[in-house]
This record gives sequence, structure tokens and C-alpha cells, in this order.
Amino acid sequence: MTVAGQWLLLAALVASGYAAFASVFAWQKEHRGLERTGWAAGLIAALALSAVSGILTWALATRDFDFDYVAHYTSQALTWQYAVSAFWVGQAGSLLLWAWMLAVLALAYRFWPRRENHPLRGPAFGLLMAYVWFLTAVMVFAADPMAPSLARPDEGAGLSPSLQHPAMLLHPPVVFLGYAGWAIPCALAMAALAARRLDVSWIEEARPWMLFSWLVLGLGILWGAQWAYEELGWGGYWAWDPVENGSLIPWLTGTALVHAAMVWQYRGALKKTTCGLAVATFGFCNFATFLTRSGIFSSLHAFSESPIGWMFLVLMAALVVGGAWLVVRRRVTLAPEGPMRSLWSRETAIALAAIALVLLAATATVGTILVPLSGPLVGRRIVLGPEFYNSVLIPTGLVLLLTTAPAPLLRWGKPPTAAGRQWLLRVSAAAVVAGSGAWFAGLRHPIGLAVAALAFMAAGCLAAEIFEHARAIATSKPIASGRRPAGGTIAVGRPSQAVETAWEGRPTRFLAALSSRRRQYAGFLIHVSFVCLALGVTGSSLGSRDYELLMAPGEVVAWGGRSIRFAGIVERELPEVHVVEARLEISRNGEQVCLLAPAQHLHQRGDQWTTEIAIHSTWLEDFYTVFYYGEDDGSARLAFIQNPMVSWLWASGWIAALGSMLRFWPARRRTGSNRPGAGPAAVPHQRRSATTPMCRMGDAR
Amino acid sequence: MSSGKKLAAAGLVVAGATFYMAYLGASASWQYYLTAEECLADAADLAGSRIRVSGRIATGTLVISPRRDQAEFALEAADRGLKVSCQGTLPDNLAEQIDVVVEGKLETPALVRGDKVLTRCASKYESRHKGETRAGSATVAQRRQETLR
Repeated sequence: MTVAGQWLLLAALVASGYAAFASVFAWQKEHRGLERTGWAAGLIAALALSAVSGILTWALATRDFDFDYVAHYTSQALTWQYAVSAFWVGQAGSLLLWAWMLAVLALAYRFWPRRENHPLRGPAFGLLMAYVWFLTAVMVFAADPMAPSLARPDEGAGLSPSLQHPAMLLHPPVVFLGYAGWAIPCALAMAALAARRLDVSWIEEARPWMLFSWLVLGLGILWGAQWAYEELGWGGYWAWDPVENGSLIPWLTGTALVHAAMVWQYRGALKKTTCGLAVATFGFCNFATFLTRSGIFSSLHAFSESPIGWMFLVLMAALVVGGAWLVVRRRVTLAPEGPMRSLWSRETAIALAAIALVLLAATATVGTILVPLSGPLVGRRIVLGPEFYNSVLIPTGLVLLLTTAPAPLLRWGKPPTAAGRQWLLRVSAAAVVAGSGAWFAGLRHPIGLAVAALAFMAAGCLAAEIFEHARAIATSKPIASGRRPAGGTIAVGRPSQAVETAWEGRPTRFLAALSSRRRQYAGFLIHVSFVCLALGVTGSSLGSRDYELLMAPGEVVAWGGRSIRFAGIVERELPEVHVVEARLEISRNGEQVCLLAPAQHLHQRGDQWTTEIAIHSTWLEDFYTVFYYGEDDGSARLAFIQNPMVSWLWASGWIAALGSMLRFWPARRRTGSNRPGAGPAAVPHQRRSATTPMCRMGDAR
Repeated sequence: MSSGKKLAAAGLVVAGATFYMAYLGASASWQYYLTAEECLADAADLAGSRIRVSGRIATGTLVISPRRDQAEFALEAADRGLKVSCQGTLPDNLAEQIDVVVEGKLETPALVRGDKVLTRCASKYESRHKGETRAGSATVAQRRQETLR
């Protein structure tokens, strides 16, 4: 099997190399026959990598210790789920996963059914295949997942207990999928720059992949944070570790890219920024890989010291230098199509948000690379603590909230309508009242008050937009012909008796309002997820408090509005694990709320103890308990941590996923010019007249 | 002033505020990051400063208190070890012959009074050799097993 796997890897190397060459060369020479052979070679590369992945999965599931990789990362005692999860635990396996995902995504992109074949698909596919070739070459020459064991061991080394957590089944592969996804916008941007095809159509082509990669990488990061929160037992979820930063930086620049691309699409501006961010985001994905594999940092995460990391750094440098050179060369074509018309427009808010996101990404990058850079620069290596990152998070986070909150009431290229302005004033006033209410409720931190007010403002602006749009539909003619008002602007006026009458017996009009701009509201739902994220981060950062104590059996303490009774220590056996747990009875106002059992687990293999925390989670706060050790007299050293609003953080991921699903849901087929998808690819931004609304039905306004 | 210039001004204000906050955060949180050998070599200069030091726990030096809230060990260096005394919550996989990062204050003669110990998350990207893992953690595990009840 190992030999077959190695031959398949070699086949993938040759096929991907040919696919890259043939696709780019065929595009240059407009040679259709060569182009077809390029696609076929790409298909062969993807099939070969799929076969190698299948072999490794089977070997892991069956603990085939003939494979060196399997012997290093699994053992007979592992459940099959965690044995298979070892696929992405080791260096060679994670590279294989990345290469396989990229090859499959490249094929999906190339053959995704579309009305017309975009001219940049060929060269972009070639660039993607070149990257598959690079990853496969690294595997073939430096990190072979199919390498045979020199002497077949009877038992494997096993998997670290801390990695045996459900989040670890998802977090790494999802992050790799995100990295692979960002390769597509990057390849399209490079192809568009190289081919001088810098109309809006490449943005239309890349946009679904930007949204997909943004969501997937974001979810991957969030699941990683959840793993750290539940597994590491220190009560937090983010430590600004270099590896954590490595995955966060491309997500930040990717968020800026998604928004900058919209400004290009609808206003013909931020073109250089969009191209630069597309290249930089994928470049930073390589930077993250460099961080985890170069061994230049000591971190919570383990690193192997190998030349592989430096290969990714060289690739990143080549991408950044090549991308920057192309942007400079095309600077005239990439000039904005007109001046910025209003400071209170949607594009202005996006530009400010992009500045904040890029500043945050730059800060994280500087903080991360300061350790290796400071040595040669100042003679001694310097490291920055979490205070550095947190202090930058405050201004940038507030700017992001400030630009996100009014977004539903802002318009492209123009200030808000009279009704929009009225709503903005009302909602702002209500936000101030909400902030004051939070102050009276006991919240004293100025940042907390500001975030609470801005979150209220974001919810208020979205509600106002939906209300006005629904009212516009209610006052329009009945939907008899299947046509709906396009609703590019908010109707001027105020709620009246006539409007309320129009609403009577017509609840479906509210749904019609939502569905007629489904994609736009899906985008705003993703904004809601960001607001939840901000609330979760602010609440858990500012309001967290802890209490460590030694409790005797039967002792009761009152803390954090709860009564906590320590019932005693219980020991039990699980397969391969000896469990020692502290039983806690939690009650509020005399009523028992829950039973918690934080524990220490002794994993028989490796004689390793792990701390297993127990949490009682509500929307208001998490009650997080840790059991450190027991005494001879049966007392236990425990820690209680109160973390406000952590559930909002996890919920933000699901809301973002829901928003993205709504955004991607296929639109109903329409005829004529109203048909979504018929617009920008065929009618690029440059061809739209000044009087044409800068939006299409069912898309962003 | 045109909208573009106003936007540029707003961007400059955001950037200025960010840089200022970054400066404040950096001033309050920077530390020297040293290997055990560098720390020993510059011990006289660095005495009294907060540092972060990385190294490998030397065999036969790790002593963990029964309550697991204190640990003493030496980090491997060329000729002599760098002594470390840590107080606070200790990581689960603290063991001899593993790489750690200690955050704390350097005292004289060369002793790091640590308040935070980080261990590398085992086998994230490279598994350790079996023998080392077991031998390293067995001592600690046995001690903990004795003290749990």
C-alpha cells in the first residue's frame, strides 16, 4: 500500500505540473486542444490525491503501522474517529489534506456550471494547479505521508489526549479548507492583473469563493477557540499565540477583501486595494503555514523544525512581490472611476472598516514577527504581551462596530434618504438611551457601554431598514404579475393609518420584503453575527472574574450569585482512562440549577493527566469550573470562573453560517434583465449609466 | 473639503489612534525573549527584569509540589542549567525533557522566578519519541496519582 501511495503521489505531481503548464500556455496561445488536456491532467491530479487520501484514511482507521505516519500518530486504543483525525495532526498528513482540498476546489471552480465560461477560468485554474504541484512536491521530497515504517512496530505512539476532543475533528480540516478556498480569489486576481482584464466580471467570478472561504476560515478559527476554551482549562479562548495570529490575519484581510470587492463592484473604486487584498490574503495563508512549520517560534502549539516552513515563506514573498509589481504596473487601469460623492455613503463606511481591519491585521503581523526580527535589529529578541494586541483591538473594533451599525440605512454613492436620516437619528438616540440603561444596570466600563450602545444601534438600523422596505411593499400595488418593487431606496414618509391598513391581512408582505432582498439581508445577518462576536468578546474580556479555593466535602460557598456545594470526589474507570471528578451542586435562590463534575483524567497510555473542565452555560454567562487536585481528607482544590456572554461568541459562528447559506441559496430563475447573474458579468460596472440603480433585485443595494 | 479628503482624514485619525494604542500596549507589555543559554550569559545585565525564557527541562531536576501549585526545575544550557522556580497553575503535561516557555523575573544568582509556564501542545505537528514521552511524564503522573486522594 505504501508503494502504491507513493506512485500515486508521483502521478499527482506530474499531472498537476502538466495541468498548470498546459492551462496557462493554452490560454496564452488560445489553443483549445491543449486547454482540454490541461483540464484532464487536473482531473487526474485530483483523483490521484483523492486516492492517496483514501489510502491514508484507511491505514489510519485500521492502524496499519506499516505506514510510518500511522505509527507516529495513532495507537490501537484510539477510537476510529480520533485515529482518522490523525490525518491532519502530523505535518505530512496536513499537507496532503491541503493539497487534496485545493485540487478538489480547483476542479469544482473549473467545472462549476455557469451560463458562460469566464475567460479567466483557464489561467486561474493553471495557477491553482501550480500551487497543487508545489504542495505535492513538498510531500514527495520533504514530508511523505506514504513513507513506510523502517521496522513495523506492534503499537503506535498514540495521539496526545489534549487533541482527543470533538472540536479537533473539525477545527484543523476546516481551517485548511479556508486556506485552500482563498487560493481561488488570489488566482483570479493574479490572472486578471496579468491578462489586463480588470473589468468587474472577475469580482463576480471570485465573490462566491471569497464568501465561502471567509465563512469556512472564520468557523475554523472559532472552533479552534472553542477547543482551547474547553480543553486547555485556563478559562480563556484566545491567547494571541503566533499560530492563532497566523490564522486570524488572513481572515481579517479576507473580511476587508469581501467588502472592498463590493465597492469595486458597485462603485468602481478601491480597485488596487481589492487586488492587493486578494493576493495578500492567500499570502498570509502561506505565512500561517510558515509559522506552524518553521520552528522559529515557541508557542502553545508544537512546531517541527524543518525547511518546509521556509518554502512557504518564499512562496508568500513571491506572491506579495509579484502581486505588488502587477498592481503598480496596472495602476492606471485600476484608478477609481469617479470621485467619492458622499462621506455618509456605504462605500465610505466600507473603506473605513477596511482600514481598521488592515490595521488590526498589520498589528497582529508585527506582533507575531517581532520575535525573530528584533534579534538581528536590536541585538536581543523582544516579545509583546496580549496587552499590545488588546489595546489595538479597542480602537479598531469600535471603528468596525461604528461602520457596521448604520450599514443597512446607508446607500451606494449617496447619503441616506430623508427617512433614512430620520431613522439614523432615532436609532442613535435610542442607542444612547440603551447605553444609559446598561450603565444603570451596573455596567461601568466605557468600552462595554460603547459596545452595548453600538450593538443596539446595529439591531435598530437593521429593524428600521426591514420596516421601511416592508412598508414600501405594503403601499405598492398587489403582487399580481409576479413583479416586486426593486426597492433601491427607502420610501420617504412616515408610518400612517393608511399604511397600517395596507398591512392588515397581508402578513406575507413582510416575508416578501425579506425575500425580495434576500442576499442583502443575508449580508446584514452576517453583520448581526459580527455584533454577537463583539458582544461575546467584550463581555468575556471585561467581565471575567475567578475564584480559587480549597473545599471540604459538604462545604457550601456563595459566589457569583450562586450557591456551590462540593459533594465530594468520585473515582471511576473508563476504557483506558482513570477519572477522578469533583461533584458540584449549583443552585440559585434555593433551587438546584445543575450538577457539574470537573475532573482530572489519567490516560493509561502515556501516563498523562489532563484537566477536564465543566461548564454551565447560559446566554448571560458561563460558569466555568476546574478541579486541580484532591487532598487526603477528601477536600478539593477548585477554581470557579465567571465568563459573561461567551455563548454569544459561539452563536456568532452559527448566525454567520445561516447568513451565508441564505446568501448562497440559488435564486429563482427570472427572465430578462432582472435575472440575477445576468448583470455584472455581462454588464460590467463601467457600462452602467449614472442613472441606473447601482443594485440588482435580490442583491446588495 | 471633498468627501475623499474627509475619508482620508478619518482614516488617518483611525490609524493614528491605533498606532498610539499600539505604542502604549507595546510599552506596557514588551519583554526580552531569551533562550536559557542567553539568559545565563546576560544574567548580570538582565537581573531584575521581566523576561520570557525558553528551554528544555533537564532530566532529574523537576520537582512539583504535592498540591501542584509550585514547580522547580532547571532548563538545559551548555554547561550548567538555568534554575527556575514557578508558582501558579501548572500545565498538565509538564514533564522532564519537554520544551517550555517560562514568563517571570530574573533574580541573581541566575534564577527565574516564574509566574507562568507554557508547554508546547504535544504532537500537534510532530510526535515525540515514545520512550521520551513515557519516561518524562511518568514521574509527574505518579506523583499526582499519589496526591489526588
